[in-house]
Amino acid sequence: MRNILLIVQREYLVRVRTKAFLLFTVLMPLFVGGVFIIPTRLAMKSSGVKHVVIVSADADLAKTVSNELAHSHAADIEGPRAAGAAPLKAEFVVSVETAPSETLRQELIARVRAGSIDAVAWIDPDAVNLRKGTYYSRNGGDYIESALFSRALRVSISQRELTAHGFTSKDAKTLLGPVDIDTVHIDKNSANRSNGLGAAILPFLLLFAIYMTVLIYGINVMRSVIEEKSSRVIEVLLGSVTPMQLMAGKIIGVGAVGLTQIAIWIGTGCVLGTGGFAMARQLLGDSLKDAHVPTVALVLFPVFFILGYATYACLYAAIGAMCNSDEEAQQLQFPVTLPLVFCMIFATSIMRDPNTSLAFWLSIFPLTAPIIMFVRVTVNMPPAWQILLAITANLATLYGLVWLTSRIYRVGILMYGKRPTLPEIIKWIRYA
Amino acid sequence: MAFTLELDRVTKTFDDFVAVDNLSFNIPEGEIFGLLGPNGAGKTTSIRMMIGITMPDSGEVRAFGQPLTRRLLDRVGYLPEERGLYKKMKIMENLVFLARLKGISTAEATRRASHWLERLDLARWGGSKVEELSKGMQQKVQFIAAIIHDPGFMILDEPFSGLDPASSVVLKDVLLDLKKQGKTILFSTHRMDTVERLCDSICLVNHGRSVLHGVLRDIKAGYGRSSVQLEYEGELPLLADRSLVASSNDFGNFVELRLAEGASSQQLLEAAMRTARIRRFEMVEPSLEEIFIDTVSGTTKAVPSHA
Repeated sequence: MRNILLIVQREYLVRVRTKAFLLFTVLMPLFVGGVFIIPTRLAMKSSGVKHVVIVSADADLAKTVSNELAHSHAADIEGPRAAGAAPLKAEFVVSVETAPSETLRQELIARVRAGSIDAVAWIDPDAVNLRKGTYYSRNGGDYIESALFSRALRVSISQRELTAHGFTSKDAKTLLGPVDIDTVHIDKNSANRSNGLGAAILPFLLLFAIYMTVLIYGINVMRSVIEEKSSRVIEVLLGSVTPMQLMAGKIIGVGAVGLTQIAIWIGTGCVLGTGGFAMARQLLGDSLKDAHVPTVALVLFPVFFILGYATYACLYAAIGAMCNSDEEAQQLQFPVTLPLVFCMIFATSIMRDPNTSLAFWLSIFPLTAPIIMFVRVTVNMPPAWQILLAITANLATLYGLVWLTSRIYRVGILMYGKRPTLPEIIKWIRYA
Repeated sequence: MAFTLELDRVTKTFDDFVAVDNLSFNIPEGEIFGLLGPNGAGKTTSIRMMIGITMPDSGEVRAFGQPLTRRLLDRVGYLPEERGLYKKMKIMENLVFLARLKGISTAEATRRASHWLERLDLARWGGSKVEELSKGMQQKVQFIAAIIHDPGFMILDEPFSGLDPASSVVLKDVLLDLKKQGKTILFSTHRMDTVERLCDSICLVNHGRSVLHGVLRDIKAGYGRSSVQLEYEGELPLLADRSLVASSNDFGNFVELRLAEGASSQQLLEAAMRTARIRRFEMVEPSLEEIFIDTVSGTTKAVPSHA
C-alpha cells in the first residue's frame, strides 16, 4: 500500500508540475469554447450587410416588403427565437425600384453578377394573387436570405389583405408578429424551461470533458509504461514493488491528475461564476440562461469519468507493456481508441434521440457505457435499473480487465525487442 | 561460512530456450563475487531471479539464509547494466523516490543522497535532470540509487561502464570501503582485469550452466605457472607451432600463451630468440581473460548450441 502511494505521488507530481499540464488546463476551455461557440455564433450571423434591390410596380407593397426585410434577421427563421434576445442589427440595405421592365431586370442581374449589389427581390405585378416572387442572388446556397424574402413578402401580402378586410394596420401587424416558442424539457420530477441550444451545450461540454480526459490520460498511462520500459527504470522498480502495485499506482496517479484538471475547470467556472456566465450569455444570446443538467447527472459525472478512465487506462497500460516505443504503440493503440471515437460519433445523434435501441445497447456495453450512458443521463434520464446495469456491467468488465491486463503487463514490461504476436500474448496470459 | 546468496539447482526456461540450466553457486558473506560469462549466457536471468523479478521454474534462491521473499529485497541493491532512471526527473528526486520505495524516510533519503553525491563528485548536479548528465555521471547516480538504502547485498551489472579513469578509481575505493563494512557485492561483467583485481570468488557461466566456480586464487593456482608472458620486437612464427604453443593471445609486441603439453619453456625461449628480440620473458599464472576464453571456447565445442 505504501508503495502504491509512493508511485501515485510520483506520477501525480511529475505531471502536475509540467508546463504541458498548465497549458492544457488553460487551453482546453478556450479550445472547447472555440469549437462550440464560434460556429454557433457564425451560424446565427450571416456574412455581412447585403444590398438588395426590391423591384415592384406596386410602390406600397415594395415599401412594406422593404421594411420587413430591413428589420428581419437570420435568427427569425432559425426556429424559436430566445425570448428577450436583443435583435441583431439589420442585415439588409434595401433600395426600391418601382418601374419594372425587362431591361431593368437584365441590368440588375448584371449588377448582381458584377457584385455592385448582392441580390434582386423581384415582385411580379400579380404577386399578390400568385403569392410568388423571384430572388436573384449570386449565392444560391443561402437559403436563409431567400427564406427571409419569402417571409417578408408573405407578411406584406397578408397585411394588405387584412387591412382590406377591415383590420387596422396596427392589429394586422400584431397578428403577423413573430411568435416565441419556449422549449420545455420534461423529466420525471420536474419541468424545466430550457431552449434547444442551451439544453445541448452543457451536456456536450461535460461529455467532451469525459472524452478528452479519458483519451488523453489513458494515453498518458501508456506513455508512462513505455517510458519506464525503455529507460529500464522498470528493472530497478521491480526490485522494490510488484508489477501489480506499479500498474495500480500509475493508473491512480495519472487519473488523479485528470480529476484535478476537471476540478480546476469546474472550480474556476464556479469562482468566475456570474462573470463567466454573463460573458457566455453575451456570446450565446440568452440561450445559456436555461441551460440545464439534472443534478443526478452532476453526481454521476465523476462516477462515469472514473469508470471510463479506469477501463481505458487498463487497456492502454497493456498496450504500453507490449511496445518498446511510442511509434510502435501508435499503431497498436488504434483498436483501443476506436470505441472512444465511436462514442463521440454517436453522441450527438443520441443526444437528439436518446431512446433508440442503439442508444440503449451502447449505454450498456462497457467500452462505450461511461460516455453514452452519461449522455443519456444528461438529456433524458433513463430508468434507474439501466444506469445500475451499466455501472455493474462496467465494474465486472473492469475487474476482468485488471486481471487480464496485469498479466500482460507483468510479462510485457520485461520483454524487449520484437512486438509480441497475438498467440504470444495469449501465452503470457496463461503463464503469468 | 555464511552465505549471503545461494542459488540451488535453479532452472529457468523461456518457451523452449533454457536460459538457466540447473545452476548452483554460493556467494560468501563479505566477499566480492564475480559472475562472468559471454553474452547470452544467462547472467541477466540469474540476476533477475536474485531480485525477485522472475521466479525460477525449479530450484531455490536463498538470500541471507532464507528463501527469497519481497521483504528481503529491501536489503538488496541493484545496479542494472543499462541506465534505469527517470530522465525528466531531477537527480535528487530520482534518488529520494527510489530510496523511499526501499522504506527510507524522505529526510534520511535526502541526507544520504547529498552525502553520496558529494562523495562521487556530483554535489552540484543534484538539481539537474538526469537527461542533462553525461553517460558516466548517470552511471554514478545509478550506483548511488543501488546503495542508498545501505543494502547488505549489492548486485552491480557492469558498474564501471562509461566511467573515466578518475571516476573508476573513486568507485573502486567506494566498493572496497563497502567490502570493509562487511557488505557482499556481486559483480557481473566482461572486464576481466577488474574482476581479477577486485573479486574473491567467481562463477563463470555459459549456456546457462556453471563451467567454472570457486575462489579466484585457487582457480588460477590450479592452472599452474604454465603460461608465458612475452614482450618482443619482430616476428614470432612459433605461435602457430602446436607442438610448442597450445593457445596464444597476441597483441603485436606482447603475447600471452600457454605451453603445449610436453613443451618446455627453454625450448620456447630458444625458438623465440631466433626470430625476435625478447625484452621480457616471464612464467606466470594464466590471466582470468585467458582462462575465460579457454573455458568458454572449450565448452562451446562440448555443448551443442541452442537455437
